[in-house]
Amino acid sequence: MGIEVMADIRKDYVYDLIESGKRADGRGFRDYREISVERDIINKAEGSALVKMGDTAVLVGVKLEPGTPFSDAPNKGILMTNAELRPGASPDFELGPPNENSVELARVVDRGIRGSESIDLEKLCIEEGEKVWMTFIDIHALDNDGNLVDAAALGAIASLLNASIPNDRYGLAGEDTLSIRDTPVAATMIKIGENILVDPNLYEENAATTKLTVISNADGTISGVQKSGTAGLKEEEIAEMLEIGIEKAGEIREKYLGDIVV
Amino acid sequence: MYKVVVPGDFISDEVNRAGEGTYVDDGKVYAMNYGIVHDKGEIKVVALSGKYVPTNGDIVIGKIVEISFPYWIVDIASPYEARLHNSEFGRGTERKIEFGDMSNYLDLSDLIVAKVLNVDALMRVDLTLRDEFKIGDRGRLIEISHTKVPRVIGRSGSMIKLLKEKCNCFIFIAKNGRIWIKGREADMNLALEVVLMITNEAHTSGLTDRVAHFLDSFKKNREGDRE
Amino acid sequence: MKEEEIELIKDGKRLDGRGFEELRPIKIEVGVLKRADGSCYCEIGNNKALAAVYGPREMHPRHLQDAKTAVVNYRYNMAPFSVDDRKRPGPDRRSVEISKVSRDALDPVILKEYYPKTAIDVYVELLQSDAGTRTAGINAASVALAAAGIPMRDLVSSVAVGKIDGEVVLDLNAVEDNHGEADMPVAMVARTNTITMLQMDGRFTKEEFERGLKLATKACHEIYELQRTALIEKYSKSVGEGEE
Repeated sequence: MGIEVMADIRKDYVYDLIESGKRADGRGFRDYREISVERDIINKAEGSALVKMGDTAVLVGVKLEPGTPFSDAPNKGILMTNAELRPGASPDFELGPPNENSVELARVVDRGIRGSESIDLEKLCIEEGEKVWMTFIDIHALDNDGNLVDAAALGAIASLLNASIPNDRYGLAGEDTLSIRDTPVAATMIKIGENILVDPNLYEENAATTKLTVISNADGTISGVQKSGTAGLKEEEIAEMLEIGIEKAGEIREKYLGDIVV
Repeated sequence: MYKVVVPGDFISDEVNRAGEGTYVDDGKVYAMNYGIVHDKGEIKVVALSGKYVPTNGDIVIGKIVEISFPYWIVDIASPYEARLHNSEFGRGTERKIEFGDMSNYLDLSDLIVAKVLNVDALMRVDLTLRDEFKIGDRGRLIEISHTKVPRVIGRSGSMIKLLKEKCNCFIFIAKNGRIWIKGREADMNLALEVVLMITNEAHTSGLTDRVAHFLDSFKKNREGDRE
Repeated sequence: MKEEEIELIKDGKRLDGRGFEELRPIKIEVGVLKRADGSCYCEIGNNKALAAVYGPREMHPRHLQDAKTAVVNYRYNMAPFSVDDRKRPGPDRRSVEISKVSRDALDPVILKEYYPKTAIDVYVELLQSDAGTRTAGINAASVALAAAGIPMRDLVSSVAVGKIDGEVVLDLNAVEDNHGEADMPVAMVARTNTITMLQMDGRFTKEEFERGLKLATKACHEIYELQRTALIEKYSKSVGEGEE
């Protein structure tokens, strides 16, 4: 209860600040917080990445194991994305079955990866109709200071790039690493009053009336869009946010995924 | 002439006349409810459906659903429950009702006629009893949509007067859509049928005449049967 | 999303004979349920959606009440028999997400301040599914809310656009959705041209996205007229032989 009251008070403060052209942490409206991406930090996972955006921290782990393909795609591997908003990450996260926010987070990240077809699922076929590699992307939110989705999406693609395929463990032979064809990156913007801001921190996220996540690829095409929140958006605003989203994704891709050859 | 509107329909530019059931956006008056536009003096949209929300002064028929000393909790056919303080019962007397005693005055499922004394900002609804009016065992209680109550009453009470005369019943209509009818079995059945007719045709014109006509022909038939 | 390759466009027409910018046939019926405070049955092509609104009513549990406004709950559910492969009963992750975005699509128009501490419960059942179910649900829910007497600023209308065989098209059916390249459900307030739901799945260039959005908003205006007509005509029917 104490947390709720505080958030309301904060809402006005954040709103007033934004209206005067400032952000509490001194950033510009188009600036991301400091980002760090640390890959291969979990030795039990086939791929992993710890992404920090300001104080938000998300750990993503990729695990592969053989399984049965879906009957309507007998020669394709399976991709499954799950997100856990662990109670340790925030006083607002509770134990229990996935709530709508963690479901939405997982599905949006999944959409970006799937839409861009960045994983060549046919290369994950072991024996057509019998056995394929299942790729589990598990998003573990460790600390929530807003904009979990951008951190999670970046963590997901960073984990997938260079993820190994555990042939030895299952007595199989084949490619050593996952074949990744594209690098989808998510950029999230919020609207406070008439202002559009990128990479909201938690207080900004709570003060925002609406949020738009745009997932785009290296060639500028879009492989995922999700609006959330209760205020409406005009077509022109969406067009503007699309442009900003693609631009920001390009910057992040170059800076944090640029060293990986696709 | 009845004009039906849906939420978001443009009604008028006369913002200063905007009343209940409308909202103003950018210098224009729009409908807030699915309902009928009334354009005399104030521009109103009378909703065709919706829940009853109590306001101060309303007379309602309530049903006791809980005894929570020192209050009775009363269901008033609203998303909001009401409460009746036990000091309301026996105002102006020395009566002070004790904890165990409350059910002797009003028990669960009892029906009362009460006035809404106050609705506060937290939607706590306080009732006051008028002359300790508890509805007895005789008669019939029916519930209609509160949006139809004005029609059952009629302009200057014309409809309800017609009903009381021709049906020969005691009829009490509360703001919250509950109606208590008391009379002989056959008379109450007639009254019920007429009330249903009114609620189904609430927004037609010439309804009062049609009801009068229906009641007259019904009585004629009944007299005819008796002979 | 692609399974075996099939041709979705033949001789400039879609498999069901529609043009690229054509909606499937739509049917909207108001007040189909007795117990609900407001209800609406909506068919878009082979989709059959039934929306029931209860409320405003007391909100339980108490600690989830909002002291100042009503709380709007939206529950999208697919009947087990509504799809080819039986869907196990109960909420799955897809339904949870659809419920969330649908609620957010309608919430902006509902004047919740008029009913503090209450709940407005919207239940949308998909009885038969052929892609675009969430949009059929929102169209039905919007009408059901109005029919229940919930105070609203506007109605909300919804449709999906997508890309098949490289073409941006309106209102995908299931075959097109399964074999197509992109799917974008949209909801908006026709009066103000404000978009309240937007999701995209698949791959669009920026230009295709914008073209698709324009197509969707135009169709939403058409759907709005149908929703409005259904509500107005329901009233005339209940009036019977009244003189106007």
